Formats: sequence, structure tokens, C-alpha cells
Amino acid sequence: MRSKRGQILVENLIFIILNLAFLAIMFLFVIKQGAGATILEQTYAKQISLIIDSAQPGAIIKINMADAKEVADEKGVPFVDVVSFNKNSVTVKLSKGGGYTYTFFNNVEVNSYVVEDVFYVITVDRKMKSGGATP
Amino acid sequence: MILQDKRGEEKMISIYWFIILLLVTTGIIVMVNLFYGSPYDVREIEANILAEDVANCISPAGNLSSEVYMNGVFREDFRDFFLEKCNLTFDSSNPFEDTQYYVEVNFYKSIVLKDPDFTISEGNPNWKPDCELNPKKHKNLVRCVEKQFYVNVKGDIYTVKILSMVGKTEQNVK
Repeated sequence: MRSKRGQILVENLIFIILNLAFLAIMFLFVIKQGAGATILEQTYAKQISLIIDSAQPGAIIKINMADAKEVADEKGVPFVDVVSFNKNSVTVKLSKGGGYTYTFFNNVEVNSYVVEDVFYVITVDRKMKSGGATP
Repeated sequence: MILQDKRGEEKMISIYWFIILLLVTTGIIVMVNLFYGSPYDVREIEANILAEDVANCISPAGNLSSEVYMNGVFREDFRDFFLEKCNLTFDSSNPFEDTQYYVEVNFYKSIVLKDPDFTISEGNPNWKPDCELNPKKHKNLVRCVEKQFYVNVKGDIYTVKILSMVGKTEQNVK
């Protein structure tokens, strides 16, 4: 009788452990999918673009990109090359591919630099008009 | 006899459990791919910011800017250089692509919003009819935002109506 009961308990225990392992694998899968390079590239490009659109000239924006740095380091992309600006578009690149580009409509001069390893500082300034000095 | 039945039952349960696990796994994978596979749609936020930027440009501190209205008349030069004056650029990153924005500002002297006294528009007007359609049913169309406010111009109350539109369908809708 005792051995039979013991057997049932071991079987149940293994069953519960296997179920827990399955749930843990599923949980890790979901987390991994959400922290993928493609998703992060898109998220940051759109976020930065919207921030620039709503910013006034003279604004300085500091963004914590710790999760992006983790992915960039994994993929061998230097963190200083992750965010780049070209005319009125921002490109976020976390892998060796082309990255994700999104345009903004605010006609401003945008520059960026890295501080404290994981932060990107974005400066928004008035665009210098070519061919004439401002009064 | 009873023992054999029980074992059979247990085996059947484990097969069922295996099938359930497979179904759950497939379900989770499909749902995760559906969720993360479709892009984030930020067009409505973008259209709202665009309308607010235009409103701030036209009436910076609640008063109609002298760049827009001076000596009792609306200024044509503001309309002609609207994007420059309001610090906006509707250029696309792809030179072969149409502009992905449209803004229309109407000024009405009367409360009845008919026949505007002055109109400013910039961008791609081809999408304007799409604004009439329900955005929840037609996700592949542009996102439109309408804002309305009143400005006091030397005793006259003007109604300002701003319509802003953002295309960028490929980047925001699967």
C-alpha cells in the first residue's frame, strides 16, 4: 500500500514539474519575442520620431535604451551607431541589417549622443536657414 | 481487470494531456506572432501632434498670430509659406513616394461652419475622402484628426478648424 501511494506521489510530482517547465519555456518564448531586435528597432524609431514631432527647438531629451544596448551588444553593433538621423528621418539599427527608419514632420535640426553607457541624449534645435543670416 | 482499466485510463489521459499541451503551444505561438508581427500604429498620435503643432503656430498664446492676420486681412504670404513658417516638413524619406501628410486649416467668421473666410492646405489631399469612413473598419486607410478652437481677433470671434491626416499605411498596418 505504502509503495503504491509513494509511486503515485512521484508520478504527480514529475507531472507538475514537467508542466511548470512547459510554462517556463512558454513564458521565456513570449519574453524573447517581445525583446527581439526588429520589435525594439520599430518601437524606438517611432517613439523617437513622435518625441521629436512634439518637441520645441531647444529641447534636450534623454532616453534610457538599456534593453536596446543589450540587443546591440549581442548582435555586435556599436551602441553609438544605434540611433542616426538623416534629414527628417530617424533610423534605429540593432542588428547588421538596415534597421528601421521612420520620418518626422517637425523641421528641426536633430543631433544625438550617448551618455552613461545606456542613455541617448537627443537635442532639438532650430534649423539654420541656408544662404542668409538671421537678424 | 480493474487495474488494467485504470492503466488504460491513465495512458488515455496522458495522450489527451499531450494533445492539450500541443494545442496550447500552437495557440501561444500563433498569438505571439500575430501580436508582435503587426506593427505599432502610431498614426493617430502623429496626426494629433501635427494638429497641435499647427494650432500652436497659428495662435501661439491663444491669440491669432500677426503672421496669419494683420490689418483686418488674412495674409496670403503665410498661406504660401505655411510649412516654412510653422517649421514643418512633409518630405518623404523615399523620393519616389508621395508625401504622407495633409493639413487643412479653415477660418470661419460665423458660427455656422460653411464657406470658410480663409483656407490653408498643404500635403497630399487625395486621401481626404477617406476621412469620412470609419477608421476601425478600414484600418488600411489614412488616420484623420479634426480639431476646432476659437480665436478672438479684435472683437471678432473666429472659428478655426484643423484637419490633419497621416498616411504611412505600410509602416503602421500589416
